[in-house]
Amino acid sequence: MSYRVKRSEFDDILSKLQEDYKIYAPTRKKDKGTFSDTDLVLYDRVSSLEEIDFNSKTKYSPKEVVFPITQTLFYFNGDEYIEAEDKGEKVLVFLRPCEVNAFKRLDKIFLENGPQEDIYYKRLREKVKFVVMECTEGFDSCFCVSMGTNETEDYSIFIKVSDEEVFCEIKDEKLTEVFADQESTDYTPEFIQENKQQVEVPALEDITTDLFDSEIWKEYSKRCIGCGRCNTVCPTCSCWTMQDISYQDNENIGERRRVWAGCHIDGYTEMAGGHDFRTTYGDRMRFKTLHKIYDFRKRFDIDMCVGCGRCEDVCPQYISFVGAIKKLNQAIKEEKNNG
Amino acid sequence: MSLNVKEFKKNAYRITKDRGVTALRVRVPGGHLEAKYLTILQEIAETYGDGNLHITTRQGFEITGIPMTMVEEVNKKVAPLIEGMEAGIGVDIGNPEDGYPAAGTRNVSACIGNKVCRYAKYNTTKLAQRIEKNIFPNDYHVKIAVSGCQNDCIKAHMQDFGVLGMDLPVYDAYRCISCGACVKNCQKRATGALEFKNYKVVRDEDKCIGCGECIAKCPTNAWTRDASKKYYKLLIMGRTGKRNPRLAMPFLEWVTEDAIIDIINKTYDYVDEYIDRSLPKEHVGYIVDRTGFQVFKDYVLDGVELNPECRVAEHIDWPGYKTNVSNNFKKVGK
Amino acid sequence: MVKNPYIPTAVEIISIRPESEVDYTYRLAIDLDVDNGQFVEVSIPKVGECPISVSDFGNDYIDLTIRHVGKVTNQIANLEVGDKLGIRGPYGNGFPIEEYQGKDLVIAAGGTGLAPVKSIINHFYRNPEEINSLTLLLGFRNPANILFADEIAKWEEADHIDVILTVDEGDEEWAGNVGLVTGFVEQINFTDLANKEVVIVGPPIMMKFTSLEFMKHDIKEEQIWVSFERKMSCGIGKCGHCKMDDTYICVEGPVFNYTKAKNLVD
Ligand SMILES: Cc1cc2nc3c(=O)[nH]c(=O)nc-3n(C[C@H](O)[C@H](O)[C@H](O)COP(=O)(O)OP(=O)(O)OC[C@H]3O[C@@H](n4cnc5c(N)ncnc54)[C@H](O)[C@@H]3O)c2cc1C
Ligand code: HEM
Ligand code: SF4
Ligand code: SF4
Ligand code: SF4
Ligand code: SF4
Ligand code: SF4
Ligand code: FES
Repeated sequence: MSYRVKRSEFDDILSKLQEDYKIYAPTRKKDKGTFSDTDLVLYDRVSSLEEIDFNSKTKYSPKEVVFPITQTLFYFNGDEYIEAEDKGEKVLVFLRPCEVNAFKRLDKIFLENGPQEDIYYKRLREKVKFVVMECTEGFDSCFCVSMGTNETEDYSIFIKVSDEEVFCEIKDEKLTEVFADQESTDYTPEFIQENKQQVEVPALEDITTDLFDSEIWKEYSKRCIGCGRCNTVCPTCSCWTMQDISYQDNENIGERRRVWAGCHIDGYTEMAGGHDFRTTYGDRMRFKTLHKIYDFRKRFDIDMCVGCGRCEDVCPQYISFVGAIKKLNQAIKEEKNNG
Repeated sequence: MSLNVKEFKKNAYRITKDRGVTALRVRVPGGHLEAKYLTILQEIAETYGDGNLHITTRQGFEITGIPMTMVEEVNKKVAPLIEGMEAGIGVDIGNPEDGYPAAGTRNVSACIGNKVCRYAKYNTTKLAQRIEKNIFPNDYHVKIAVSGCQNDCIKAHMQDFGVLGMDLPVYDAYRCISCGACVKNCQKRATGALEFKNYKVVRDEDKCIGCGECIAKCPTNAWTRDASKKYYKLLIMGRTGKRNPRLAMPFLEWVTEDAIIDIINKTYDYVDEYIDRSLPKEHVGYIVDRTGFQVFKDYVLDGVELNPECRVAEHIDWPGYKTNVSNNFKKVGK
Repeated sequence: MVKNPYIPTAVEIISIRPESEVDYTYRLAIDLDVDNGQFVEVSIPKVGECPISVSDFGNDYIDLTIRHVGKVTNQIANLEVGDKLGIRGPYGNGFPIEEYQGKDLVIAAGGTGLAPVKSIINHFYRNPEEINSLTLLLGFRNPANILFADEIAKWEEADHIDVILTVDEGDEEWAGNVGLVTGFVEQINFTDLANKEVVIVGPPIMMKFTSLEFMKHDIKEEQIWVSFERKMSCGIGKCGHCKMDDTYICVEGPVFNYTKAKNLVD
């Protein structure tokens, strides 16, 4: 069922939704960007249409909603372990189709991989509903169409904003009530069909361990500086590290947390005594690239990368992920010609 | 030929080594100009001058080889430029067709600033223009330059007043992933003001110089800058010259723009009160040497509202050297 | 409620036995369903967690042989009998000892690599009828680093076990073998090749060259088993640190057949 809502009335809908849901959406933090007098666009709580930035790509993805940057797992009190409380709040996230698809990738790791589900992820994830923002233009660095992540059917609301109105398709019956007074319309969602960048990911059987030593990665040893931005902005990077702390005012009490980790960042593979496995940035680039477009697919049948282009947007060394995939394709071609 | 040299020099013309030939100094406040003004400079240089332009160290132009007799015509030609670049930013210029009304207070120069540069903390051109508007025209000899950050590309350290941009870092522990980039960079490039406690970063406010390295390096924007206001470091009384070249020294840290403007304005009153009128001219730095820093400080801070974050120098010893103390040198020839 | 996989069980230390200056075996009072070669996540509240192989186990205890090398392990060094350690697990796959039944099993272990295979050795020590022969090739850096010395002595006594013990560097009192493990491979009886299974556990370099040495003696890749050690944070396939290619060492490993292991690139 689709509705058209006057922009001026949309805030009423948002406030009704807020009775049951925390609402997250792309929003602009004035002057909070890395460089002075630049803004930071990221996902955060919003309560009005005005606060939602429909036109910018956020620097960070919505993954924080289910995979917080710092998350307390449990508290220590003497010998006792006390599980961090589940606030149980329901969440609505305004996001783009590629980002809905990114959640599917996180689900694979946190809910399917290994012997047990990750309860901390699960208890947040279960309470999330998606409001997909129509995205038919994309941005310069997007390549979601190539990754097959430009479309999604998994949403509660699909929304398109114009200067005057907001068009909404409601799939989730529980939410229709809020729209009851609105005029119905025949709006159907559209998805982007062509990005400015295209890339073809290699077939699984084309990747051999010979390619792990390929010259193409060496270039990145010279270019990448291991800053980790490509990991932190990625909607599908799911790595983390455990940390224990004790409170400064009472040494008996403390907590065990997890925080995001990234395979480009120093220490990711470092073991006690300093033994480290991927010391060159070229090796890290190879490891990340293959995780995103090869070995995740080998394990779960879908590529990890959803083609959002964020890693390219933020790289201070102008390393393009599409560029890396293209180099890999070239190396495969050469390998085949030689072999 | 008869000429009132003092009035002539105030009009921003120079007495050159060639009798009857002058050069006009064109101010470019903030060192930034619309390219269209270059056409005017070209026309003046080619019609009245020797066809050349000299780029000055203070980011102006000097149009050389102008016959002194042409000055009135040149003033008319340069009027649209003075109107656009001085009157346009609010400087009380008088009749633009009369040329520049003063030359003592030099062009306020600026590095490229955050229009372009990733390190800069603010729009340096805008601040330079705001200062220019406050202090020009004036005959007192005061040099001011503004740099976007503490790299100080404009060499604000060589000025009577140097303004450097600062960041007040704000930390969001939740966003920090303990990657260490900020701690490492502060150690390597700044002052080692950061350390880890319980995997999160603690900033030593006394050590922090507000360079913003931490903000620039953080992969999660855990560090951002306090955006409620802009912070600056104000350096004072640096100079080159024949007697005692020296770098300017920090007077105020984490100070706001409004306070800087007030202090610069008050400095002109201070000069007015303390200048040695028996000399043809006296630079402000030498006046401060005479009165002592405390007198200067009390004078210029009187009634100025400083923000709570601001830190004020208790006393200043300028380094530098006296050119008449040269026992370090040994003559090569007998 | 679903069991929270991250919350450890506090388990009491019932004995502590020094193995070398830096290695200690902690016996913990816990009834855990473990396979040989599996590991547990061991933790001290407010300090941290780390993966440790179960070096032996019985109905109501597990043994952990821990080298004191870093944050958590150094803190463990301060614990005493009666203190508690946090335990979760067991994790990982362990060695497929049913495949070793009736075989001529060779176990080559370097340094702490002996810990994860010690329980297999003891299993076949106690059950000689399950195996055709057992050869142990044990290498340590120096005599002071030798782990489980009294157990090695016990194995040397057993008729069905051959032990080759070597140190990289001897000292005045050392009368035994000196040299790298690889140098002693040729002393092994390579007659009934098809009936052999070879388990190799130790530092990455040792595992690599020892495997190659065995293959020089026509041992097939399928007959070789190794155990990997990689940085770990979760032990259950979530944190990503241990992944190599599409394989999670904590889930599908740490034990791998060489056919698989050779394709795992860091
Ligand atoms: C499957 C497996 C079995 C192991 N079995 C044993 C054993 O039986 N006996 C033994 O002494 N050691 C064993 N280790 C090595 C042991 O895990 C490390 O020595 C230990 O993690 C060091 O922790 P730390 O906090 O003292 O050192 P730090 O250097 O302070 O390490 C900090 C954290 O990094 C991670 N880490 C560091 N080194 C390693 C490592 N080598 N492997 C995995 N994670 C690491 C851990 O999460 C650790 O808490 C094993 C490792 C693995 C992967
Ligand atoms: C009649 C006297 C003087 C004239 C006409 C004069 C003129 C100039 C001019 C035209 C410039 C270049 C300005 C620009 O780039 O726009 C300059 C720079 C400079 N002058 Fe003078 N000057 C005089 C006296 C002095 C004295 C007495 C001192 C020092 C005590 C001095 C110190 C300097 C310094 C340090 C600079 C370097 C530029 C800078 O500040 O960055 N000047 N002067
Ligand atoms: S384009 Fe880059 S940031 Fe986006 S999903 Fe792919 S790897 Fe991650
Ligand atoms: S690319 Fe790196 S940080 Fe991202 S999920 Fe893969 S291993 Fe983890
Ligand atoms: S963002 Fe660029 S420089 Fe930074 S780690 Fe990633 S690839 Fe390397
Ligand atoms: S602003 Fe500069 S000095 Fe201050 S903490 Fe950051 S890096 Fe260090
Ligand atoms: S750079 Fe950012 S994420 Fe890294 S340690 Fe510093 S504050 Fe934390
Ligand atoms: S240890 Fe976390 S995924 Fe293997």
